[in-house]
Amino acid sequence: MKNIAEIIGVSRAFSVSGGEFYALKNINLEIPENKLTILRGKSGSGKTTLMNIIGALDYPTTGQIMMDGRDIVKMSDRKREKLRRTQFGFVFQSVSLIPTMNAYQNVEYALRMAGIKGNHKARVEECLKMVGLGGRMTHMPSELSGGEQQRVAIARAIAHRPRILFADEPTAELDSAMAAEVTELFKRMTSQENVTIIMTTHDVGLMDAGDVIVELKDGEQVCQKQ
Amino acid sequence: MLGVMVRKMWHKKWLFFCLLLGSVLLVATAASYPMYRNAVYNRMLQDEFDDYLKLNGEWPVAIDMITMSQKEEGGVTMNNMENFTEGLSDRLGLTVKENIVYYAVVSKEAYSVHDREDNDAKGMRLSYMSGLPEHITMVEGEMYSEDGVDENGYVEVIISQNTLLNLSVIVGECYEFEDFTYADGTPVKIKINGVYEATDRNDFYWQERPEAMGTVLMMDEDLFRESFTGDNARHYNLTCKYYALFEYEDIVATQAVHLQQEATYLLEESAYRSTISDLDFIDVVNNYTSKESRISTTLFILQVPVMLLLCAFLFMISCQMYEMERNDISVMKSRGASRGQIFRLYLYQSIMLSGIGVLGGLPLGSVFCRILGSADNFLEFGIRRELTVSYTWDVFVYAFIAVGVSVLIMTIPALKHSKVSIVNLKQQKALKKKSWWEKCFLDIIFLGISVYGYYNFSKHTSSLLESAVKGEALDPLLYVSSSLFILGFGMLLLRVQPLIVKLIYLIGRKRWRPASYASFMETIKNGRKQQYIMLFMILTVSLGMFNAVSARTILQNTLNNTEYLEGADIVMQEVWEDNLMETKMNPNIEFQYYEPDYSRFETLEGAKNYTKVFIDTRGYFAGASNRRSAVEILGIHTKEFGQVTHLDDELLAQPYYQYLNDLAVAPNGVLLSANFRDKLGYAVGDYFTFNNISGESAGGLIVGFFDYWPTYEPEVVTIDENGDIVKNDNYMVVAHLSTLQQYWGITPYQVWIDMEEGKSTDAFYEWVEENDAPLKMYVDRSEELQKVVEDPLLQGMNGVLTMSFIVMIILCAVGYLIYWIMSIRSRELMFGVLRAFGMHKGEVLHMLTNEQIFSGFYSILSGIAIGTVAYQLFVPILQTAYSTTNQVLPLTLITQTSDMVRLYSVVGITMAVCLLVLAIIVFKMNITKALKLGEE
Repeated sequence: MKNIAEIIGVSRAFSVSGGEFYALKNINLEIPENKLTILRGKSGSGKTTLMNIIGALDYPTTGQIMMDGRDIVKMSDRKREKLRRTQFGFVFQSVSLIPTMNAYQNVEYALRMAGIKGNHKARVEECLKMVGLGGRMTHMPSELSGGEQQRVAIARAIAHRPRILFADEPTAELDSAMAAEVTELFKRMTSQENVTIIMTTHDVGLMDAGDVIVELKDGEQVCQKQ
Repeated sequence: MLGVMVRKMWHKKWLFFCLLLGSVLLVATAASYPMYRNAVYNRMLQDEFDDYLKLNGEWPVAIDMITMSQKEEGGVTMNNMENFTEGLSDRLGLTVKENIVYYAVVSKEAYSVHDREDNDAKGMRLSYMSGLPEHITMVEGEMYSEDGVDENGYVEVIISQNTLLNLSVIVGECYEFEDFTYADGTPVKIKINGVYEATDRNDFYWQERPEAMGTVLMMDEDLFRESFTGDNARHYNLTCKYYALFEYEDIVATQAVHLQQEATYLLEESAYRSTISDLDFIDVVNNYTSKESRISTTLFILQVPVMLLLCAFLFMISCQMYEMERNDISVMKSRGASRGQIFRLYLYQSIMLSGIGVLGGLPLGSVFCRILGSADNFLEFGIRRELTVSYTWDVFVYAFIAVGVSVLIMTIPALKHSKVSIVNLKQQKALKKKSWWEKCFLDIIFLGISVYGYYNFSKHTSSLLESAVKGEALDPLLYVSSSLFILGFGMLLLRVQPLIVKLIYLIGRKRWRPASYASFMETIKNGRKQQYIMLFMILTVSLGMFNAVSARTILQNTLNNTEYLEGADIVMQEVWEDNLMETKMNPNIEFQYYEPDYSRFETLEGAKNYTKVFIDTRGYFAGASNRRSAVEILGIHTKEFGQVTHLDDELLAQPYYQYLNDLAVAPNGVLLSANFRDKLGYAVGDYFTFNNISGESAGGLIVGFFDYWPTYEPEVVTIDENGDIVKNDNYMVVAHLSTLQQYWGITPYQVWIDMEEGKSTDAFYEWVEENDAPLKMYVDRSEELQKVVEDPLLQGMNGVLTMSFIVMIILCAVGYLIYWIMSIRSRELMFGVLRAFGMHKGEVLHMLTNEQIFSGFYSILSGIAIGTVAYQLFVPILQTAYSTTNQVLPLTLITQTSDMVRLYSVVGITMAVCLLVLAIIVFKMNITKALKLGEE
């Protein structure tokens, strides 16, 4: 199994009053390509911090994130932005759609951002259908339910065919049935879309879906299941 | 609850700072109105008194009473009068400056006790005047002694030099009155003890001038009272005069009505009405009150727009605050807070803010008032004469009304918001489609009303002019029309703004970069949120322009007119000596004037040019059907006249100098006012004959007709006793001075002087003193212009418009900045998302800049467009409403580039600061933190 990214000795410290607090302590991890990797842990365990670091949204205090043989930590801001634009996709816990654009425009915006030329229509429709919202493309975010909004966000995150999709607690605000559905969708997408997905969750029920499950506790990696 | 409130306020300190600012400014503006008005009233009233004093040389607030106390009534009148005059100061509410009582008994048969050749009976007035010893200096002999009598029983008296000459008495001489005695029958004998003169002849104590008291002997007051008044009054006829002089410097405008009432009482009802001989001060007061109402209405109307804007600002910021606290409110509600509790929380908060508003607003109001009072032009503060600001009760009334309004504005939205629970909140968050005003076409309605107003007023400019000339108050509708026009037009442009943005978006739909795309989407879909702040900017710019142009235009036209009517920097005429007396004694001598030495003017420092101008305002000519018609005759030296005077070529059919040249080449030529041609049918080349005031004739060939000429008024506008306006044609003939002198000899002429730029006219007054030149008349144009600038109506207008402009700029800058910071804070999550998607910081800034262009830049451009149209339409009408009877020059619109530059730079700096703040926020923004915001 090929790894898309390798995390080597990553630590992340935050300055707090009276010294430093380590949110991550010496994490070493391999992310297999086109698989669903789940980062699991209680709130405060450091899973979001880890994901932000892998996703080039944050920097580790020490350590490397190797992708395609290069350490993305050492890349320039511009390069990291380009990476996020073209090769990464993000789904956040809270609803993050742009409120002034409808479902279709929100998804298409990811294509614009990634700088993909040509006709976007087919791809946007494909993505929205994939998440089961083919019939609600012209709805504004405020006219969609929370689960529907989250699905639009997922469609948006994969529209530009990223290599890695980061999903930070994507199911936190959804009910359990909907959560299971979203997780199922992720799993399906890894093979259908050839995308690697890294997802954080604290929901024990969703564990089985993951190809790899990494458990974090107080910033330390406690176990990894294949 | 207080704790909750204070913590809440600290958390949103910037918003509360804005609310506080708005509330302070509202109170300050409201309070400055009565402060300024009262201060200006006081100044006006003082000016009226000062003018009276200067013009008449008499004390402005004085009451003179004269009566005779007859033997038969035994002094009753005298006693009553004394009581009455003593009570006057309380009655009028004035401070006494001087109370002078003068009593006299008259002897027609006073004989010298000494052997004199001419010992004829002399008429003498034995009298006393209160306060005399303090106001005189003895020049001969001595003051009367303390007892007032000498050891031989002679009453010691002192006399003025006039009396000394008039009665031809000598110091030390004694007289006995044969026509009356003391009450006990002993004869009244007096001794001339000394001669006095007034220590200061200009002292207003001398209501009874020493030189007018030709037969008056002054004796000791106590002795006089003991001998001739009280029980003894029944033996004598006494002349009683009372002069009450009151301090006028501390009379304030609010006393005017009381003074008028008291004056009416004194003159019409009081028992002493027939004894009052002088009550001039009441004319002064009446003169003042006639101007009062016009000024107060005008000032109030001018202040209304800025007050409304302040209210709107408060409303906008409190809505913003409620918007931010919607979550808190709904959470409080779901935790069981009653509607009343929430409402009270906001009510207390508003009261607290407005309370601080009063504390800050009142002192700021007095600062505003001082700034108002020093504005001599739009955004220029050159008047050094300070206004006395006082906190009268009406200041507090206005301040408290303002506080009430501000509490109301801040609390009313709470009524609506306290209803909302968390459930409705989610439902309400959907995007708004159209504002209520767009749905009911308020913009179109406003525009309709204002356009109607415009046509109505422009059709009836003559009636506007009439009411202005009569000194009536400005028609509020006039100002409402222009304000509604600006507001309506502004709202209309707001309505079309999304359409314009959409159009631009559609033009490049495929090509827009992600940042531009997002900003288009934001503006098209969410732009209505900004309507309020945009309207604010539009109003600031357009009202700013409108205010600047109206202030400049109205003032500048008045100044230009004054400059024109005065003719030159200094116009003066010396008193000429003549040989009139000699001609009376010897009819063979021909009458002639002695011309003062004209070469003395060479020594007048600072005079650039000067010229002789002959003026006869009461000449005449044979007018229509040979009726004798009045004509003003002007004799000039063409070259010099051209150097001293100035006239805008635009006012004339051909350049001013062309007229002068035409006249210069025709020694026998005359220039006539255009009404000779238009009303009487004269033509160039005709011969025109005219006569001077003494009937001597002169004539010349007509070389041209002019519409305007320095000092020339084509029409004389007066108001007849029915209050109607009467216009009379005024004719003028301009000829060569030398030619007129050939006809009529050398007669007194004026000298018109052109001072060097920036030179004070003080040099002229020094010159007059040095040369001991008695002046028959003089006009100092700089003084007249200063009077215009300090005219309460114009000055107040300048002050209020400038003040409003400054307040609006502050509101606009603060409001815009706050709006944008709030807006960015609320969208921080979205920026985080965009940054996470790989958008560069620069692009986020680019996006925000775009949005600013669509809102701020669009507003500024709209404001400029609206302001320009508004002043073109309404300033000419507004200006008519400020006209006076002697407005001669046609009114022109005055725009000054510097005003516009100032306006644009303030707005530009606001936007630049705004962008800078945005840039700082965007560049300091942390993606992971921004994303966390969404998780809470």
